[in-house]
Amino acid sequence: MGLTFKIAWRNIWRHKGKSLVIGVILFIGALLMTVGNGMISGMENGLSENIVNLFTGDILIISDEQEKDNILLDLMTAKPLKVIKNYEAAREVLESEEMIADYLPAASGLVFLLNPRSEMGSVYLLGVDIDRYQRMFPNSIKITEGRIFERGERGVLISEFARKPLYDFMEYWLLPQDGILDESKLPEEAKEDLANLDVRSDIVFMGASDSNSTIDIRVPVTGIIEYKALNKIWGYYCLVDIESFREAHNYVTGADRAAELSPEEEDLLATEDLEDLFSSGDLFTDVITDESITLDQLREETARELVDYDLDDGSYNLAFIKLKAGVSTQEALAKLNRVFREKGIKVRAISWKEAVGAIGSMAVMVKAALNLFIMFIFFVAMIIIMNTLSMAALERTSELAMMRAIGARKGFLRRMFLAETSLLSFFFGGLGIASGIIVIYLIRAADISTTNEILQLLYGGEKLSPLYTSADFLLGLVELGIVTFLSVIYPLRVVGKIVPLDAIVRE
Amino acid sequence: MNVIEVQGLKKDYPLGKTIVHALRGIDFSVEEGAFLSIVGPSGSGKTTLLNIIGCIDHPTAGRVRIHDQEISELNDKQITDLRLHRIGFIFQSFNLIPVLNVWENVEFPLLLMKDKRKEEIAARVERLIRAVGLLDYMAHKPAELSGGQRQRVAIARALVGNPDIVLADEPTANLDSETSESILKLMRELNEAERTTFIFSTHDPEVLKYAGKIVKIKDGMIVGQE
Ligand SMILES: Nc1ncnc2c1ncn2[C@@H]1O[C@H](COP(=O)(O)OP(=O)(O)OP(=O)(O)O)[C@@H](O)[C@H]1O
Ligand SMILES: [Mg+2]
Repeated sequence: MGLTFKIAWRNIWRHKGKSLVIGVILFIGALLMTVGNGMISGMENGLSENIVNLFTGDILIISDEQEKDNILLDLMTAKPLKVIKNYEAAREVLESEEMIADYLPAASGLVFLLNPRSEMGSVYLLGVDIDRYQRMFPNSIKITEGRIFERGERGVLISEFARKPLYDFMEYWLLPQDGILDESKLPEEAKEDLANLDVRSDIVFMGASDSNSTIDIRVPVTGIIEYKALNKIWGYYCLVDIESFREAHNYVTGADRAAELSPEEEDLLATEDLEDLFSSGDLFTDVITDESITLDQLREETARELVDYDLDDGSYNLAFIKLKAGVSTQEALAKLNRVFREKGIKVRAISWKEAVGAIGSMAVMVKAALNLFIMFIFFVAMIIIMNTLSMAALERTSELAMMRAIGARKGFLRRMFLAETSLLSFFFGGLGIASGIIVIYLIRAADISTTNEILQLLYGGEKLSPLYTSADFLLGLVELGIVTFLSVIYPLRVVGKIVPLDAIVRE
Repeated sequence: MNVIEVQGLKKDYPLGKTIVHALRGIDFSVEEGAFLSIVGPSGSGKTTLLNIIGCIDHPTAGRVRIHDQEISELNDKQITDLRLHRIGFIFQSFNLIPVLNVWENVEFPLLLMKDKRKEEIAARVERLIRAVGLLDYMAHKPAELSGGQRQRVAIARALVGNPDIVLADEPTANLDSETSESILKLMRELNEAERTTFIFSTHDPEVLKYAGKIVKIKDGMIVGQE
């Protein structure tokens, strides 16, 4: 132990009160920072697990004409997704790929609704083959009323989260067919006026498209669902049978669009009925590889499904992929995209994180709030320590000045002060970090779970499970180091300003 | 040979709109091994003069040379090292490091010097603690010592680095007359034993009988030497 540390160590004991103030602040600061960092790690971990397991899988396949990757809940633009054109070729790849545990082709997008006042509303639908959905995401949904529609049956599952806004807009309450009205779930104003409550068991919607033509379809509501977690996010989506989704998006026919075409394209289109041209998957593939036809929009909008008994023959606009355990998402992404490119399949694979851009940003906001909280603690701790240390420096002026007078350099005094603060920071900060880790494990052991959606976002799922990783430990040490360093800068300036003359007491 | 040469030393303090002329032109020199006393009434400028000689204050005008080294030519680090190696301070208010015991307080300047070996340090510290008669109190902290004992520690500390000059501004002002006497005797003995130059100030005529040379100042000017 050098001279500086010896003096620093003894000064800590001599000025117990001040040391304790600084120590307690460092302890609390380090503890809160540790728990905060653990919460952030746990949130990130939980969110990714819940998102991957409940909704997106590890990787998504989308048309490579899709401009942006954040295709799920892109609440900003809400443009319809581009249809995957050579899905059959993509399917071959997915079927044969070793790394893939399971996959689910689907169609996702916004559909429009008209209310009695002829205003236009919208709701997100995910069209799936329900059997495959349940195989891919087991336990993802819980049926709260009614039943899940059968495979091949037309039906929509309304989420509890979407039910109330739908009521507000449509002015009727959605109840599954043959369902019994649960009055407790009704919005307040509906409860007050039960006699006039309009209850319906089907919903009419039309597909969203860049053009004006869409088809209205009426789909029975077979059940009400709740997602296992993160209903604030997934609740935007109602599940619908894939065939109804396709029908609703049965876009423009040739006759309407021909007016906008160039003469030679018109010629081409005039030769055959577009309905016939695009009515089979094979022909469709031929058309898109023919460069002489550059009717991008027309092509995708007329990529009409075959309403066949084989659900998989129709169009999809995305596919969710679940990888086998232990497979790296990055590697799988790279490989899939390479294969797609080599085989000329016009799709691309994206990670779930890219797909949920919007949700990601919600998580980022929660994370930012947590970080802000940590920074606040950081700041308060810094100010208090800075103040206490500066006062300590001033109180010891004559002692420090005497040291200068008898030959100690400024650097010596600074080192002494730094040593004192570092010792406190090391001991109390270390204690705080250790306690923080214990608190994190206590929280995990306490099994705190919530049904509150905002809290679920904070928890990263139903259960509050903060996580402590070695990265968090390093982060904690760095944060502690920064607090110590920043809070000692000003006191060190104060120390540096002490001159030997201050040692002379004059009456 | 002269250890200290002071020429035309002036010190002004601004005090509100007026200026206090604490030193109005001091010329004197101190021979090596001297035991010099600066005497004068309160406010005459004794402390100011000693501070400037001790390089902890700057003159408004004039020159101070220590061993032919002009002080004003040195930077802060060099002046600090000069204080460490060449000057010993004894303060009126004792001024020891509270968290260090007697041994450690005396050892402190030697540790700052960095070029001393362990055995050398131990031998030197022990010699001086013995000289000031505190061998039995080595492990005591300043708070556990009397005023006289503290001033003995300060004397040992001032001398431990074998300085050229020891400066003491009213070293006995806070002590009773009996203790004052023993402190002055001790300083005188060490002055002779170590051949170290001592300069101390006082306004106590009693103290003067121990002095070698005496410089009398009044209103910032030398009014007599004997
Ligand atoms: N920092 C200062 N600012 C203004 N005036 C000062 C300052 N220090 C000293 N003085 C003035 O300079 C003069 C000399 O002061 P100094 O302390 O040197 O006297 P002294 O001989 O040591 O007195 P004492 O015997 O009371 O200690 C006094 O008039 C004092 O008021
Ligand atoms: Mg004085």
